[in-house]
Formats: sequence, structure tokens, C-alpha cells
Amino acid sequence: MPGLRRALVALFVVGVLFAAVDVAIVLTSSHDDQKVVDAVLGPLIGLSFIGTGVFAWWRRPLNRFGLLMTAVGFAWFAGALVEADNAIVSTIGSYVGPLYLVLVVQLVLSFPTGRLETTTSRVIVAAAYIDAFVLTLPVFLFDGNINSGSNAPDNAFVIAHARGFADVVDVLTSLIGFAIAAATAVVLLRKRRTSTAPQRRAQAPMLWTGLTVIIALGLLFGGDAVGVPDNVLGVVAFVGFVAFAILPYAFVAGLVRTRYSRAGAVGGLIERLNTPDTPVRLREALADALGDPTLQLVYWRESAGHYVNYAGHRVDLPAPNSGPARRAVAEVERDGKRVGAIVYDAALRDDPSLVRAAAAAAALQLENERLEAELRARVEELQTSRARLVEVSMGERRRLERDLHDGAQQRLVALSLQLGLARRKLEDDPVIGGRLLDAARGELDRALEELRELARGIHPAILTDRGLGAALEALAHRAPLPVDLHEMPKDRLPAAVEAAAYFVVAESLTNVAKYSGAEHATVRVGRHDSFAVVEVSDDGVGGADPAAGTGLRGLADRLAALDGRLEVHSPPGGGTLIRANIPCPTCA
Amino acid sequence: MTTVLIVDDHPTFRATARMLLEAEGYDVVGEAPDGTSGIAAAWELHPDLVLLDVNLPDLDGFSVAQRITANQGAPAVVLTSSRDSSDFGPLVAGSGARGFISKGELSGAAIAELL
Repeated sequence: MPGLRRALVALFVVGVLFAAVDVAIVLTSSHDDQKVVDAVLGPLIGLSFIGTGVFAWWRRPLNRFGLLMTAVGFAWFAGALVEADNAIVSTIGSYVGPLYLVLVVQLVLSFPTGRLETTTSRVIVAAAYIDAFVLTLPVFLFDGNINSGSNAPDNAFVIAHARGFADVVDVLTSLIGFAIAAATAVVLLRKRRTSTAPQRRAQAPMLWTGLTVIIALGLLFGGDAVGVPDNVLGVVAFVGFVAFAILPYAFVAGLVRTRYSRAGAVGGLIERLNTPDTPVRLREALADALGDPTLQLVYWRESAGHYVNYAGHRVDLPAPNSGPARRAVAEVERDGKRVGAIVYDAALRDDPSLVRAAAAAAALQLENERLEAELRARVEELQTSRARLVEVSMGERRRLERDLHDGAQQRLVALSLQLGLARRKLEDDPVIGGRLLDAARGELDRALEELRELARGIHPAILTDRGLGAALEALAHRAPLPVDLHEMPKDRLPAAVEAAAYFVVAESLTNVAKYSGAEHATVRVGRHDSFAVVEVSDDGVGGADPAAGTGLRGLADRLAALDGRLEVHSPPGGGTLIRANIPCPTCA
Repeated sequence: MTTVLIVDDHPTFRATARMLLEAEGYDVVGEAPDGTSGIAAAWELHPDLVLLDVNLPDLDGFSVAQRITANQGAPAVVLTSSRDSSDFGPLVAGSGARGFISKGELSGAAIAELL
């Protein structure tokens, strides 16, 4: 993001200019008692905040913490206007003076995301702004004590003199300031209690330094209101000031610790995964390393085009930030190929490089587990398809029995009865006897034709004797619509491949004749990369659904048993294309 | 003359059986293509004999036989099938039918023997 980078550099340069103005004001001030200290420490503190803020902003553009840090720096410089000799500028400086403190309250309450995430913290920050800029107005307008030091220019905002009223308001704002500081301290301590151990470790420097600033602030407000001696308040102010000055460095220390603990977590993960004697599931190791017990691992199945879980069952990735528990997804690649994905708590997304580093460390083992998951998925598919194949085969046997019983057997029964009857009639009524014999002959012809058809359905002899090309020619010849045959194989293919290809064409042509309303069909048998590819297309009504009928599903199962695949393209009104890819090592 | 009702889902068999039985002196008073219409026709026509196929499209021939022979004065039932009687074990005996004739061996004499 070069645009952002340039803008942030420009912002820092503006900060340096502010620092220069700050130094100039302090050095030319006729009422600043500690010029040297202010001229050295002032710019140093302001630029510390702006520098670390700009850095944090650049590293985490979506996190508003950097913005707040930078704002504290600029507010700090704005407060230095109080040292100006011009009355209006000095009074403005005095009025905006507390802004940096309010921003510090907002800063510590919104650490580490830069956003106020609870209603309580939002209420506290709103109260702080109101206390600092609305409730203090009467102090300025009615000539109250505006803390601009001795010899300072006059308060330029005064519209009436009512020092008594202004002092009451002043005490009131101090008491409210005390309450705000106390509430902030409570919220910070409560937040610490609910943090996880790694979070606590990373946030500790910022938390304790921020808490020191807030407690000192509270004591100053409280002490001011109840009249604690100045020397005591001076010590408190000094401690608070030092804590405030090192706040940016505490923030940097937190970052370093996070990075250190991140390196430690990933290092621990690598070590754990490489210990040969204690095999550990990758999911558990990752969940421990990232501190997310709800973490899930999913594995990419290239052949199926979807993710599966460890058991090999299909899973869909959650939409980002979906569900009550917000989830984020990090896809894992190895050698440029997708191997899986980590589904994790979206709260971890504040640290995306941690997830990326862990994913990179885990890629090899993820690939291994992916292969295992792939194997499990295939075993399950094979079990399902084998069970369906048994079902299909039982169904075919039932159909055969039914066909034999209802067809040839009935005709032979009738034939037997007709012959018996004819034999009796031949003696007393030869004409009727002759007719009965003719009918019996017709019955016998039909029985033979049905038996032939049945035998072809079991396994056509022409396929065994003369191969796929001849068998498909015979099939096309018998079909009730014109069928074009293209690219028929000249050599014999393995018997199982020929049989599978034959039944794909037979079943497809039966469907074409029964359902498609087509006028014409085309059959192609090609070879492609160790596959025999069989295509049957028609110009019919389309809309064939492999899930709806048993015929296409039975075909798909037969093909699956050979590791093959059936594709059905059948848009409504657009004809149907059935394509079977049958593995055929000798076809290459 | 013995009146007969033929219950069978195959029209070829019904036609041939009618021809054969009529040639042998039986009076075929009705035909039915399935179990339900067979039971209704038996009550309606009161035949002396129901020639009943075992494998019907709706009901099992044995339960049709039980329902036809349940009442007093019911017609005699003879079961028939293109399968062999040994395929059915003791089912024929338990059905209330007089007996079983394989379709290929159907004749007036075979029926008379069971009646």
C-alpha cells in the first residue's frame, strides 16, 4: 500500500513541523518557567507518540490503535500552545490541553484493536469528552482558574467575572475526572482478568503503564478537588508524567513480546510436529499453538473439487464472520497447490501473520493428513458405490427372474397347453387342431425372441466374439431411431472396458428412445489419456436427471467400480450428452 | 357342468386355459387379472371352482385363496403357477386351497382329481 505509506510519512513530517513550532513557542515564551525541559521533553514525547502511532498504522491499517496513538501526539503539541504569549493562542492551548489525556483514556480502553468494544468503555470515553470540553466551558467563560501558570496572558474567553461559580464548576469537573479515571482503572483490571495467558503476556506493558497514568490522573483530580498539598500532588504528577512519556515504548515492548511469543508458538509447533515418537494430530497442535480450541482443519480434495474433514466427509467452508462464533479461514498451499484450510476464531485475525506462519509450518503435515482424508473419502465412496452395486446387481437378478417368468416361461406354458389341446383335437377336429398347432408355433417364435433379447441384456455374444465396434453397430441397427457411430475402436479393448462402454451406450439409447423424443442420436468412442471416453448425444428434450432414475445411477455405480466417472449434460430443451470416462491403461 | 373362474394376470394363459377347460367340459363363467378383482368376482359369480395364479400383481395368491375360502359354501380353489409346487413348500396346504397344479400340467382330469 504505497499510497498509505507516503501519507503516513507525510503525517510524521507534519508532526516534526508541529514539534518545531512547539519548541519555538516554548523558547519565546515569557511565562514558561522550565523552558529547557519543555523544549527538550515536549517534542520528544509528542514525536514518540506520532512515530509509534504512524508505525502501528502502517503495519495494521485496519486497526485504529495507530491513529489514536498519532492523535495523542498531535493533541500533546496542541496543549503546548498554552505557553504562547498571545492571550487567545494561550487560552486555546489551555482549553484543548486535556485533549491528550482524554485520548489516553480512549487509547487504553480500546487497546489493542483501537475500537471501544463495550458500552461501558464508550460511556466512559463520552463522559471524558463532555467533562473536558463542555463542563469546563463555564470555568473559561466566568474567569475561573485555567491553570496557565503565573505571568501567563489573561484568559481571552472571559465574558463575565464570577470566580465563585467558576470554582464550583472546576471542583465538579475534577470530581467527574476522578470518577472517569476510577471507572477506567476498573474496566482495565476486569479486561485483564478475562484475557487468555498469551494475550495477557502481550498486553502487560501497555496495560500496566496505561493503568499507572490513569491512576495518577485520578489521584490528581481527586486531590485537586479535596485540596491535597501541592508537594504530594507533585510526586503523583511526576509518576503519571513519566508513565505517560513511556506509554509509546510500552506499546512497542508489547509488540516485541507478541512477536516473540508468536515465534515461540510457531517454533513449538514445528518441534511438536517433528517429534517422531509422539504422533500428534495436527489439529490439536495448531489449536494449542494458536490458542484457539475451536480451530478446525479441512482438507482439499482435488478430484472431487471440495473440502473434506479428517473423516473424509464433505464440508463447506463457513462464510467469513458467519454464525454466532465468528469464523475466519486461512487457505494453506504447498508448492503452489491448495492442500487445505484452517478455520479459526475471527478474533485471531488481528494477528494474520501468526496464522500464516503456523499454516506454513503445518503445510507438510497437512498434506499428509490430506492424503489420509482423501483415502478415507475414497474408501467411503467405494463402500457406498459397492453397496449400490450389490443392490443394482440384486435388482438386475430380480428383473431377470421377472422377465423370464413373465415372458418366455408364460409362452412355454401356453405352448404346452396348446400342444396338449391340439393333440386331442387332431383326432376329432383336424382343422381346429391345425390352428392350435399354428398358434403354438407363433408362441414358440415369440418365446425364442424374448429369450434372445434377455440373453443380449445379460451379455451380448457379439461383444465377446467381435468386440465393441461390432456390438455397437448391432445396437445402433436395432435402435428405433437413426444412430450415427463415430470413431469406433479398431482394436479390442479390455473385456471389462468393452462391457462398461457397451452398457453405457445400450442404457443411454434405451433412455433416448423412451424419454427424449429425439430424432437422431450420435455415439462416439474415443481414447484420451489412459481413458476410454464414450459419448452418447441426442437432439431431444433434455432434462435427464441422473439422481432421478435407477438406470443412470446404476451406470454411474458400474463405472465407479472401475474407477470411472459418468457425466450427464442435459439442459432442458438442449438435448442430452452422456459421457463416460472409463480407465483403460492400455488405451493410452 | 362345473363353473370356473380364472384369476391370472397373463392374458395368454387365461385364453389358453379357458380354451382347454371348455374343451374338457367345464363352464368358464369369468376371468380376473388380479387378486382384488378375483375376490370380488368369486363373491359375485359363485363359481364351483376358482383357478388361481400364485403370482398376482397386487396380492399374493395364497392370501387371495384364504380370503375366498374363509366363508362357508365358498368355491373350491385350485392354485396354479408356472413355477413348481416345490418352490412354495407348505404354503399351498395352509392356504385353504384344494391343491396345486403346475400350469404346464393343467387339464380337466388333473382338476377333477383335486375336486
